Amino acid sequence: MSQANLNVDSRRASASITVKPRLRLSAQQVTPYLFLLPGIILFVTFILWPMLYSLRISFYDWNIVKAERSVYVGLQNYQDALDDPIFQRAASNTLFYVLVTVPGQMIFGTLAALLLNQRFPGRALFRTLYYLPVITSWVIVTLLFEFLFNGQAGLINSILESAGLIREPIRWLADSRLIMIPLTLLGIWKGIGWTAVIVLAGLQSIPMQLYEAAAVDGAGTRQRFTSVTLPLLRPTLVFLVVVLTIGAMNVYISGLLMTRGGDPMNESHFVLTWMDKQTFENFKFGQGAAISYLLTAVVFVVSLVQIRLLQREVDYT
Amino acid sequence: MLRHKLIALLIVVALLWIGLPIERSQAADPVTITYWHTMSPAETEQLAKLIELFQKANPGIKVEPTVYAYDDFKKALLTAIAGGQAPDAIRMDIVWVPQFAQQGALMQLDSALPDFKKIADSVFPGPLATNLWNGKYWGLPLDTNTQVLLWNQKAFEAAGIKAPPATIQEFAEDACKLTNGTKQYGYALGGTYFWAPAPLFYAMGGKIVDDKLTTATGYVNSKESVVAFQMLVDLYKKGCLSPNLLGGGVGTAQGHATGLYSMIIDGPWMVDIYKKDFPDFKVNFAPIPTGPDGKSSSVVGGEDVVISAATQHPKEALAWAQYLVSEEAQLFMAKVGVMPVLKSLTGSKDLPPYFEVFMKQLETAQARVPHPKWSEMDDALNTAFQKMLKDGKPVQDALDEAAKTIDGLLAAK
Repeated sequence: MSQANLNVDSRRASASITVKPRLRLSAQQVTPYLFLLPGIILFVTFILWPMLYSLRISFYDWNIVKAERSVYVGLQNYQDALDDPIFQRAASNTLFYVLVTVPGQMIFGTLAALLLNQRFPGRALFRTLYYLPVITSWVIVTLLFEFLFNGQAGLINSILESAGLIREPIRWLADSRLIMIPLTLLGIWKGIGWTAVIVLAGLQSIPMQLYEAAAVDGAGTRQRFTSVTLPLLRPTLVFLVVVLTIGAMNVYISGLLMTRGGDPMNESHFVLTWMDKQTFENFKFGQGAAISYLLTAVVFVVSLVQIRLLQREVDYT
Repeated sequence: MLRHKLIALLIVVALLWIGLPIERSQAADPVTITYWHTMSPAETEQLAKLIELFQKANPGIKVEPTVYAYDDFKKALLTAIAGGQAPDAIRMDIVWVPQFAQQGALMQLDSALPDFKKIADSVFPGPLATNLWNGKYWGLPLDTNTQVLLWNQKAFEAAGIKAPPATIQEFAEDACKLTNGTKQYGYALGGTYFWAPAPLFYAMGGKIVDDKLTTATGYVNSKESVVAFQMLVDLYKKGCLSPNLLGGGVGTAQGHATGLYSMIIDGPWMVDIYKKDFPDFKVNFAPIPTGPDGKSSSVVGGEDVVISAATQHPKEALAWAQYLVSEEAQLFMAKVGVMPVLKSLTGSKDLPPYFEVFMKQLETAQARVPHPKWSEMDDALNTAFQKMLKDGKPVQDALDEAAKTIDGLLAAK
């Protein structure tokens, strides 16, 4: 059907509808909703509905087989979660992970982006290499880091030993504090590539004239970076801080695998690995849902604050 | 206008098609039941052949198996149960049965199966007991296993020790004789979760709770229990027990074959693991050394077959479960290393020869606490063991603490 025909058709259609005053929506008004419908159905079915359902679960001592057997306990699940020393430890571990990996990814990602923005032979290759960790499965890289940090036969220990830095092998994965080192290193290493790509896009959107003007005004490399690059990257950096923080708070797979579910002594949990254990190991479904909602609330508030604090308009016109 | 009519027509046709009843000839079609399990590839292959045998004998039933990885299985089951899509029959870890039974996910079998008493009498009491919760039976024992001592003959010969240790005292002495700094450890445990120290713990007279599951105080912190953990802590302090049990070390299977760990304690599946990964390594099994009272013991592992409470085909699912504990099925699966639960098969010539030491050990092996909150009890014991090893917490104090936690779990509804 040609374009002209289509137009005629739709005109005819709307004309015929205006004749009947009973119909309030014209076909043209309905069409966009029809196109949105599949997406909305998916969103409601797989995101909105489960979210509301788990909110409900969080107020019950939930029975998974027969929901009607569940007992309403009000805010008890939230109270229990907050009072639990394991949850508190998991929360502080997660906070530590956020505080280390978010700046780590930002700094190294930006440095990588600045390097990759230069013109040099093999640039495309390096851009690919930096992105490789991002597309590699969490499971595989976590296992890789476990091998590297193995306490008896790991590469890291053997390097440190041959460099004379340590006398006895360090048992990285056996200590709830030490284990945070491989976990955060993994988080940073895996995130650099993605951060760099976003920063790179931001860098390339900065007009060259601004650098030229700055150079004419006598700005050196450093000044050009602090007065032109950084301020104009601000929206990109705000976006990154928010997204990386949300991502870091949701740290899960690496922790689950490397700590074997919170070992040693449930002291190396992250919020989500503890949620997982309470739900699927201990069958405390209400408790698990409550932990999820506590995390959601924190993520929500932190994101709002970050956006408010960091998003100031830069006007260079 | 034509377009509208066309669309309307299409919708009508579509609705008609959706609403159309799917024709089926109910009498001739067999009933399909689903069966979920976590068997190894070799066992899964054997199971497929077993299903063929079953279907030939029961033309009205079709069994549709699905294999899962052990680590994903609990989640997959919970998701299926919550979504009303539970499989009809499930092969699950013996320690999960009380937990799922308490949720109301399982069919009570002692009342549903007319032959239950007969079956119960034909199987080992240890594996049978793992199906008991709240005074009722929720499954049938399917396969069983236990842990025995694995000793590296080369290492023993090099140290001038002729035979594997017969008593715990000899075991502790040998462990240190077989140790050489960080190059060789006499003994290694896979971790601090209870399954690992359980055989020695039970052999030394340790107990977690009383038989009626009412209290842990006086059991998990009894003199015998303390002595058992103290023995392990002492070995660790002397460097005769590898530090890998705290995490991030060389695994026990690999370490044992390569000579790093002279002794480990593990199950019958090690035969297949070594056949695949270390074909030149000769596995040597021995019973768990005897405790102060001269008795050996170990821990019961294995799987039970349970039926979903929500099954649409209880009769067919029960027939399948019952077939799985038949002599024919048990012998058939034994060929790939699955240990049978039938008493009548003890000493059978059709079983692999290495089963003998395990079958003998099973006579004294004990089940872990059959309770829905076992995973949390396990956690409490794990934490206690970690504190003894890492923080140097006195064994008695650590176990007193564990007793208190477990008492709380037993009391909670």
